[in-house]
Amino acid sequence: MTSVKSALQRRLAAFLSDPIEGVADEAVVVAPPTLDEAAAVLSVASEHSLPVLVWGGGTHQGMGGRVAPAIVLSTARLDSIVDWQPEDLTVVVEAGVRVADLEDLLAGRSQTAVLPEVPGDGTVGGAVAAGISGFRRLRYGPTRDRMLEVEVVTGDGRLVRGGGRVVKNVTGYDLPRLATGSFGSLGLIGRVCLKLWPLPAAARTVTLPEARPDYGYRPLAVVEEPDRVLVFLAGTPAEVEARTAELGGGHEEGLRWPGAPAGSIRLSLRVAPRLLPDALEQIPASWSYQALPGVGEARIGAADFDPVSFSEVRRWAESHGGALVLIEAPGHVHESFDPWGTPPAGMDLQRRVVARFDPDRIVNPGRLPGGL
Amino acid sequence: MVSASVRHVTLVRELQHLLGDDRVLADPLRTYVYGKDGGIKRGDVAVVTLPENAGEVIEIVRIAARHGIPVVPRGAGTGLAGGAVPTRPSLVVSLTRMTQIEVDAESRSAWVGAGVLNLDLSRHTARYGLHFAPDPSSQAACTIGGNVANNSGGPHCLAEGSTVNHVLAVELITATGEMVVLGGDAPDPIGLDLRGIVVGSEGTLGIVTRALVKLTPNPPAVRTLLAAYDRVEDAAATVSEVIAGGIVPAALEMMDRPMTAAVERFVRAGFPTTAAAVLLAEVTGHPAAVEAEAELVRAFAESNHSTEIRVAADEAERALLWKGRKAAFGAVAQTAPDYYLHDTVVPRTKLVEVMAKISQIAERNNLVVMNVFHAGDGNLHPLMAFDASEEGVLDRVRAAADELARVCVAAGGALSGEHGIGLEKRDLMPLAFSEADLDAQARLIEAFDPGGLFNPDKVLPAGSRCFDIGRPVPEGTWI
Repeated sequence: MTSVKSALQRRLAAFLSDPIEGVADEAVVVAPPTLDEAAAVLSVASEHSLPVLVWGGGTHQGMGGRVAPAIVLSTARLDSIVDWQPEDLTVVVEAGVRVADLEDLLAGRSQTAVLPEVPGDGTVGGAVAAGISGFRRLRYGPTRDRMLEVEVVTGDGRLVRGGGRVVKNVTGYDLPRLATGSFGSLGLIGRVCLKLWPLPAAARTVTLPEARPDYGYRPLAVVEEPDRVLVFLAGTPAEVEARTAELGGGHEEGLRWPGAPAGSIRLSLRVAPRLLPDALEQIPASWSYQALPGVGEARIGAADFDPVSFSEVRRWAESHGGALVLIEAPGHVHESFDPWGTPPAGMDLQRRVVARFDPDRIVNPGRLPGGL
Repeated sequence: MVSASVRHVTLVRELQHLLGDDRVLADPLRTYVYGKDGGIKRGDVAVVTLPENAGEVIEIVRIAARHGIPVVPRGAGTGLAGGAVPTRPSLVVSLTRMTQIEVDAESRSAWVGAGVLNLDLSRHTARYGLHFAPDPSSQAACTIGGNVANNSGGPHCLAEGSTVNHVLAVELITATGEMVVLGGDAPDPIGLDLRGIVVGSEGTLGIVTRALVKLTPNPPAVRTLLAAYDRVEDAAATVSEVIAGGIVPAALEMMDRPMTAAVERFVRAGFPTTAAAVLLAEVTGHPAAVEAEAELVRAFAESNHSTEIRVAADEAERALLWKGRKAAFGAVAQTAPDYYLHDTVVPRTKLVEVMAKISQIAERNNLVVMNVFHAGDGNLHPLMAFDASEEGVLDRVRAAADELARVCVAAGGALSGEHGIGLEKRDLMPLAFSEADLDAQARLIEAFDPGGLFNPDKVLPAGSRCFDIGRPVPEGTWI
């Protein structure tokens, strides 16, 4: 391995970057500054069938199958805001732009990309690749709904663009949506154009003591926790005032997003929205959760790994058309509990699609369900 | 050697054995209408089938594959881009008999047969206070299957997004005649999001027999405003300012004078026919919100010199205004016997600039152009009215349409916002995409349908799949 590493270091010398803490020491870390250069890296990797792990902010590396990379492709230097059109509510950014930085910038003109609200060091490219959405998906839909254009560096080093920089577009096949949640299986998601929304003039967080069947007409977000419910309201001042009164309960100005549920193991329980209350009854009392009514997801935190209860909850979810997905867990959990569970229908189609973007299957190999 | 007509007879017999005589149309007089959609091209139909369930579609696909005859899925045929027009003698699968609806009101979703009419779905779910958000102007006639194939839009997609945002899963019959459900009713289905590329794939990847669609709650309050202007620029400026001003209305539609006049003659919705432009804006939501937002829209209209602002007083007046908007294409028939309806998108900031260029293009080609469009999302629908019996007029229409597409793409726009590429714009695709981009799209088709069974010759121009593309590495960059 060492000789491969030093050969690679020589070959990729122009893009070498500092090691990333906790990431495979034997891998060469590169941070190409342009998509063309990223394409050059992937061409080299493809030529020698070397596994590549794409690295953004590292916040969702716990999802999916583990990769043993020869090359870590960091998006740290792909960090430009390429084109922001505030009057058209669109923004084009490179993959390595941090979600928090982008949202800060957009907030300056009272706009938002509706990306996850508590992103940590997470990047836009990472959020798209992992297909993750924030709490506000209840009102604005998941991240995929705002993907207007994508530029992908395919596993074999081609630069491919799909979609366009306009808010409505049916020109050709919808590569932007295919890329969302693709976990690198098509290659590096290098650049995206996102649809933006205006930030409403007023916003409030209402706290209720317990869950209700209804929180009024399309609130911004609702988070049900074991001992409280947070209802997020946004709109005109008059609307927010009226809706606060309709809901009752205590409130704070602004949007007070909760952090992740406690526990070193984090999971996502996903079911049809109708089944969410039933799903919550299946989980052990020791798990903490944030349930998103209307979405059908419960974000779960667990302190300890108990193979029996994990498998039971997964079996229940899958038998009801849902899933129990690992978001973050120590290595030993990963080894004994499949990060995805039963692969979905149509795996043969998925394999055929992936083979046409990454024929040597070098970018994040095995990260998707079914070891794809 | 078996002759073509014998092969045709065998194919028809096999299909009749499966479906019975009355659900297989082989008589040219009866198949004639299946050779065309709402556009201007006509194709070649070998036989039409009318399946009633997915099992029958599976068998039809298997028979077609065995006979090596292309399969063209078809909804109501309201498409305008030639997506349902068979380019070679084809087996047309009309899905209009697949009309089942199963609603899960609590999850706000429904499994809907491909043949269900768009408006029928929203009528059906009204009892739950829910609707299907995409509302193309053809919604009384077009099918959900067609909406899925074209990723259809409509006025209310401004706030809610196009069909792809409202499809949770599709039941797809693949090229090997197998059924696969892509997606599901739980959020973020694991694995690659293949549903995302099936939506909008214009029937080239398989046949969608059912779709699981998201339903949207009916808003508790609605305000619909009409604003008239002496100058198109002022109407367009209102649109830009509303969007930039922090409101995304449910709909923001615009009509120019020729179109308003045609609509008014046809529907009598009370549109001001002397205005250069009419804007139709709708805000929906909580009662306290719509009051404030309607006031803001009114203020933007006033500051942009609107000559008349009217707020629909009741549901009847609102319905009449929308009837006028959605009847626009029907109204044109009173102006000229034929029309060519374009569909392009430009960044909203380029509306005024591009509209001026459109009227220049029409003038240069000696054509009447009328505009009615989804101004809020920059989705233009210039309509050229003409009389096809006039010699050479079709060439002028096509030349103008091509030029118009070039202007829109040059302005940073897209070839189509909601009608699709089909045949109509297929050969313009290189304007929007590089060779490598088109090759990647061709590879997607190849992954689903390697033999080119489904709706061949659509969306991508011939030769899009370039086998020599790969590794465009600048020599020496890394050595």
